[in-house]
Amino acid sequence: MKGYLLEIGQALMALALAPVLVGFVRWWKARLQGRRGAPPWLVYYDLRKLFGKEVVISKNASWIFRFTPYLVFSSTLAVTLLIPLVAAPLPFDALGDLLLVVYLLLLGTFFLALAGLDPGTAFGGMGASREMTIAAIAEPTIALSIFGLALGAGSTNLGRIVAQTLAHPAAAISPGHLLGFAALFIVMLAETGRLPVDNPSTHLELTMIHEAMTLEYSGRYLALIEWAAALRLLIFFSLLVNMFAPWGVATTLTPVALGVAAIALIAKLAALGLVIALLETRISKLRLFRVPELLAVSFVLALLAVTSSFLLR
Amino acid sequence: MNTDLFAQLSALGSSLALLAGIALLWRRSLDSYVQAFKWQSLVLAAMFLMVGYFGRDPELYAMAVFFFLLKVIVIPRYLRRLQQRVGAERESQPYVNIATSLIISGLLVLLAYAVTRPLVAVSRLPTRGALPLAMGLIFVGLFVVVTRRKALTQVVGFLVLENGIALLAMLGTYGIPLIIELGVFLDVLMAFLAMQVFVYHIHGTFESMDVEQLNRLKH
Amino acid sequence: MAFSDINFLLLLLPSLLGALFAILVRPFRAWVGWLNAFVSLLGFAAALSFGARAVSGIEASVFGPGEFLRADGLSALLMVLVTAVATLTLFLSPGLGPETRYDPSQLRRYHIFINLFIAAMLLAVVANNVGLMWVAIEATTVFSALIIPLRLTKESVEASWKYILIGSVGIALAFAGTVLSYFDFVALSGRVENALNWPVLRATAPLLHSEVMRISFVFILVGYGTKAGIAPMHTWKPDAYGESPSSLGALMSSALFAVAMYAILRWKIVVDACVKGHFADNLLLALGMLSILIGSFSVVLVRNYKRMLAYSSVEHAGLICLGLGLGPLGVFAALLHLINHTAAKSMMFFLVRGIELKYGSPLIKDVRGMLRVMPWTGGLFAAGILALIGLPPFGLFVSEFALFRAGFAMNHPWLMGVALALLAVAFVSFISQLNRMLYGSVPEGVNSAEVDGWGRMMPLFVPLSVLVVLGLTLPTSIVALLNRIMEIVSK
Repeated sequence: MKGYLLEIGQALMALALAPVLVGFVRWWKARLQGRRGAPPWLVYYDLRKLFGKEVVISKNASWIFRFTPYLVFSSTLAVTLLIPLVAAPLPFDALGDLLLVVYLLLLGTFFLALAGLDPGTAFGGMGASREMTIAAIAEPTIALSIFGLALGAGSTNLGRIVAQTLAHPAAAISPGHLLGFAALFIVMLAETGRLPVDNPSTHLELTMIHEAMTLEYSGRYLALIEWAAALRLLIFFSLLVNMFAPWGVATTLTPVALGVAAIALIAKLAALGLVIALLETRISKLRLFRVPELLAVSFVLALLAVTSSFLLR
Repeated sequence: MNTDLFAQLSALGSSLALLAGIALLWRRSLDSYVQAFKWQSLVLAAMFLMVGYFGRDPELYAMAVFFFLLKVIVIPRYLRRLQQRVGAERESQPYVNIATSLIISGLLVLLAYAVTRPLVAVSRLPTRGALPLAMGLIFVGLFVVVTRRKALTQVVGFLVLENGIALLAMLGTYGIPLIIELGVFLDVLMAFLAMQVFVYHIHGTFESMDVEQLNRLKH
Repeated sequence: MAFSDINFLLLLLPSLLGALFAILVRPFRAWVGWLNAFVSLLGFAAALSFGARAVSGIEASVFGPGEFLRADGLSALLMVLVTAVATLTLFLSPGLGPETRYDPSQLRRYHIFINLFIAAMLLAVVANNVGLMWVAIEATTVFSALIIPLRLTKESVEASWKYILIGSVGIALAFAGTVLSYFDFVALSGRVENALNWPVLRATAPLLHSEVMRISFVFILVGYGTKAGIAPMHTWKPDAYGESPSSLGALMSSALFAVAMYAILRWKIVVDACVKGHFADNLLLALGMLSILIGSFSVVLVRNYKRMLAYSSVEHAGLICLGLGLGPLGVFAALLHLINHTAAKSMMFFLVRGIELKYGSPLIKDVRGMLRVMPWTGGLFAAGILALIGLPPFGLFVSEFALFRAGFAMNHPWLMGVALALLAVAFVSFISQLNRMLYGSVPEGVNSAEVDGWGRMMPLFVPLSVLVVLGLTLPTSIVALLNRIMEIVSK
């Protein structure tokens, strides 16, 4: 019982933290560029504003357009129930593991792409096709990069993988881990729409991918999609830090351990956010036809991670 | 514990070497190829030192020094000079495009794993786990030579192939006898210098480094 | 024994001295070339004496600390072949007469590297350690590649680039194979100092792991097969033979080719002792058939007579491979074929030089009426072609006959039938190309006179007589030597 309450608490915490994470990254980027930057919690005000606004829907849109924001939001929220944020293993682990996580994320992407096509605008179609190109190579890589770890743990259950790494800290510098981390890092950039794959703050048609798909959305729909995007960022960050550097994650459900885990998580997320902000300031966006090359590199890295883990078992 | 650490480190080093080799399939500029080769050779020289320490074979320290001198200092310097003289051309249209090449390289690593299964089964050395990575590097080097159009890229591909074989020898046998290794170094240096001469000739007579231009000789 | 030590020195020093003289004398003078040629006769004599020692029953002669040089019967045969062609080449090299085709710096470069090339080939066949053998063969690639573009044209640069790239990559793979077999040895008995010495490998072979040796042999066959020009690794051959100076072509097509086959045979002996079943034999049969196929059909399509010789080389490489894969009888036939092929090919390359000088074009269609224009060259050329396609009374007929007999004895009738059919295809194409070249009206501007004087033509009768002698009879000394080699092979 306690475990289930914990899970729901974890999901709510993720929901609350996600917007401020996005704002944090944006704030740091601004600071690094010499600007004052909007405070990180501005995103909350944005969301509240959007929820209050009127929804305008194109006459050509079908039920998919109205259904998608709810689906994307709920599928992403469901993923937060399945990944180890503060504690591992978790009771919901029986429901789903790595593959379910990947598929839920993909479900959201798929419907978002459909919704981009739905109103029949040029931008939407363009964004949808670009997004699918990226997802085609990125999705298998997510699974592969964590699969390398799963081979070591003997299970694709994410909680079990975390427990395994905690039990054998020396394995954290093994080639399988390092290569898997590199692969997942590149994929994270692709899946969350950050540089060098996609610029989250652009509205130029040449460079939009995620923005292009959601261009038609307004009001509460847009709020839900933005929140879901923020949640996605949180999920990928957490996967990166908790799968590959899980120290701090609580293995017992005592309040002290949970408190420490929550603080550790926030600290790790902040650190990773800083790294991302630095990265985004330094590198420029890749031309679109070069993105598959970058993703192919991450795929090969993930493949190497799996073979290394397999070889060194 | 010691052997475990040894195995981990050798796997780590071999993975880095293989990644440097795969970088040849990813990047387009010759500069990055020379850098990748230099880093790869540096990792291999460090691995020679490590294997010499863990395997308790002082001959390998000498080998590490020779390797470092030849492949981290001498050859990259010549390559850089070559690149300056014949112009920095980019590998803009290889015979197999980049994304496909990368995926094929992943498959080549899997093939290498299959080919070296009997080798790993036979060996009793702690470094045997990384043998497939060395074989993978050999295949990747071969792939680079076959699918790239610029003569200089082919030269670097050949050098990476030689590195892969050196890695295979290191992991499988803690290095072949020193005398033979010296002979091999001499040969590689000679072959490289000869190739360098030919690259100058190609540039001089064809005014382009694209081997696609080398198509006059047919039936 | 002091005598055998002197022999080794006599074998290797002439070419090294030749290179030294060529380096020291600037600008190049003709007497360097002549000195070189005469001193190389010493090397030939040394090789013959090694052969005599092998025939008289001495197992092997060794030299040096750690016995790093070793000459047994097989080495002796190769030594004789290499030094014979080397002597012929050095006597017929550019630069010995009033040469006008090459300038002194080109001639100097030629003489330096051709001597180093010969020295490397000889080192390869007397090296005891297979690693040293590899080093020497790789050196031959580099040295020969530097001579191909003696005159810098687009075609010669292209040919030399392909040659050195494909050759080096192939040799690197052969090295990987060598490393793999050393790996197997180490896995079995730890790091022994002389592990890569051929007799040690041969003795330990039955204990080695067959799966590993299988992989090793594949790498070795692909690697040294690239050097020998076995399909599908033969693509450098037509270009390299077509663009290089004729003397180099003669050496490459006969001596270097023989050395590469020697390397394959050395490894085959080791692998056969380790891997049960006919693994090595089957691989050799497959590649041999492929080479014969590609060689024969390419002769149909070829338009340049120097490239035609290259494709004929590919075909004969296939035949020798086939022989090596057909058990003891086949190996005997293959070695005999190697001797005959060496004689025929070396002669052909020198003749081709004269033809190109006279007609000014490497294309077959530009060469007509050769019998009228240069009857001696044309006659020798015709003899050479007839020899290469396996007609009596030339030696290649005898060796091919022995090969097919071995094939039928080993129960491969279908394979032999296909090979015969392919040889028939080559036969027809060669005869038709030859006809086109020998007869017909003489093209404009070509005067009827021999290109070379008797000085250059006389030496070419030597390989011709070897071919005829071997076609009519098998001298006992050669049979004795081959028998000794068979003992080494099937021990």
